[in-house]
Amino acid sequence: MSAIRNEPSIVVVEDDAASADVLQRRLQANGMTVAVGRTGADGLALIRDLHPDLVLLDVGLPDTDGYDVCLQVKSDGATSDIPVIFLSARGDVFDKVRGLSCGASDYLTKPFHPAELLARVDAVLSQSRRVRRPRLTKPADTARTGRPTAIVALADQARRERAELILGAMFEIIQVGSEGRVVDLLVVDADASITAQTGTEGPTVLRVAPPGAPANPSTVALSDELVRIANLEVRERELARDVDAAAEALVALAMAFESHDRATAGHSERVADRAVVIATAIGLDAASCQTIRVGALLRDIGNTKLPLGLVRSASELTPGERKQIERHPALGEELLAPFRPLSRLLPIVRSHHEHLDGSGYPDGLKAPQIPLEVRIVAAADRYEALRIDRPDRPAMSADAAVSILQQSVQRGELDAAVVAALATSIRSDRGEATGT
Amino acid sequence: MTEQIVLPRSRHEERFIASEQLVRLVMRTASAHLQLARDDLPYQWLTTCYCDTVDWNVYRAAEEGAAVRLRFREYHRTRPEQIFGSEQLFLEVKEDIGDRWRKERVAIRSAEIPAYLRGESPMRIESRDLQRAAQGLVTAGARPVVVTQYNRLAYAAPDDRMRVTADHNLSYLAVPWTNNNDDAIPGRIGPVLARERDVIVEMKWFDELPLWAEELHGFLKQRAPLDRPSKFIMAMRHLLGKG
Repeated sequence: MSAIRNEPSIVVVEDDAASADVLQRRLQANGMTVAVGRTGADGLALIRDLHPDLVLLDVGLPDTDGYDVCLQVKSDGATSDIPVIFLSARGDVFDKVRGLSCGASDYLTKPFHPAELLARVDAVLSQSRRVRRPRLTKPADTARTGRPTAIVALADQARRERAELILGAMFEIIQVGSEGRVVDLLVVDADASITAQTGTEGPTVLRVAPPGAPANPSTVALSDELVRIANLEVRERELARDVDAAAEALVALAMAFESHDRATAGHSERVADRAVVIATAIGLDAASCQTIRVGALLRDIGNTKLPLGLVRSASELTPGERKQIERHPALGEELLAPFRPLSRLLPIVRSHHEHLDGSGYPDGLKAPQIPLEVRIVAAADRYEALRIDRPDRPAMSADAAVSILQQSVQRGELDAAVVAALATSIRSDRGEATGT
Repeated sequence: MTEQIVLPRSRHEERFIASEQLVRLVMRTASAHLQLARDDLPYQWLTTCYCDTVDWNVYRAAEEGAAVRLRFREYHRTRPEQIFGSEQLFLEVKEDIGDRWRKERVAIRSAEIPAYLRGESPMRIESRDLQRAAQGLVTAGARPVVVTQYNRLAYAAPDDRMRVTADHNLSYLAVPWTNNNDDAIPGRIGPVLARERDVIVEMKWFDELPLWAEELHGFLKQRAPLDRPSKFIMAMRHLLGKG
């Protein structure tokens, strides 16, 4: 459930009551909302329920250890984006490495100075607000009960009651913190701070214009029109969720087709993961990353319309066969075009074999006609293809594959910035600094 | 505003690379004899965006020692995270001519850049040769490809006959530029291709150096010889994986 937050919310998982109390008071004094769990199980329940901005996690807990709690947080799609900082008296380098390898953002050794703790909390919070990893999520599977639900969170009581009255005609009004309920609509003040959402997750958010101020493109007036607008917005979001679900079904089909070929099984997922890493390194937003991810997964769906023997042929293709294979981007576009809400994916599907110098296929497009998203998927596809065994050559090392891509850049085929982002991310994975 | 610079025989320019510690000494010496330059306020961020064609003609020519370079330069108080976000910047066309060079610099509005790059709007450059060369680059598809960012500390003589600059925190960044549409600006920059750990020191002067500067120059030549080419070539080598 999305929460309305004007201040960072922190979950502290600490079994020592005195330490937890000091931490709580220190963080609250600095404008943060704090909830404390004394065991691993309590902590996990709080994290799942509150979806906080940050978790401060002790390593030694009565029922489990902090590493296990961290791994559970990081392996759950609903909580994996929440940063974790370990607080521990274990200052050995191996403890720190273990904590960080579990996905923690930082590791602070007790005893620590409060100023250092706050500085690290601020640093992690500011970083996590910038980087929100996109993911293809399943729609909420919680059972629905009749009418859509709404939470009205206006600060002024009279305005809140009026909004609840208006919306009550079509929505079931529920209260903040209602356990286990799916929230379809969240009505807030125009200036309320709300946790960032990714894609179509979470409720529709409507911002209500202040008293006396006219509604603008980002706010609605508190009038009888509110219920009509709210209903339209909620339906639009449901449609977007359906589109995501349809895309997921198509992805599942494409993956099933690919998984029958041992040589390429899992290739599209690796391409999609790599493409998202590149897009993130370039600084694209979550929506673009999502388009890139799904586009990369579906880019070769046109292969399903070609003869199976041709697609899986391990021998060298004749010119005629090559011509046929080169039809797959156009066939993929044909296949997806009827799904109009997926139109944003079509450039990736149709053009991921184009080259900036015009030497690619199927249309021989040149640089200004090839969007950044397409360039990213093209580079990720080429890189991952070089990293797997082929009948005519063994898999290449990461460095050798990057070097081949850089030669393509020098020939004018691939985008230089995109390949540089790929090379940077690989260096960064290896812990190498960018320096001369 | 157009400013044309043709390097005369009597003008000298030398670059050095040195540690932060050594540069502190050099700049302390320079500050005892020169004033802070008015047009380069202390530690102002300089962002220079270089253009090249899809087949890297400018870079290839620069490696061979003769190239016309088209670049845009911006000045900021803090490091910007995008290019062409400022109201006004400078378009520069620089041509190497053997061991000399000539440069023209024009103040332009950022909003004009896409039209320049589409070739729809002729660059207001006085030198016909330079203008023709720059337009030729645009026709060949030159677009922003790489950026250098650094903060520059500059000291200069009142008559600008001598200048000592130190470029700190030099970073080379890629530019993921896709098209020249009007909405292409401001443009994103990144990733960072490489960072220079040391500091680039430049000494520029006309005619003879005063005694103190001659000693400084000798000291730098001995202690901090620059063993690398221009920032543009360095940036391009990193971009193309030749770094």
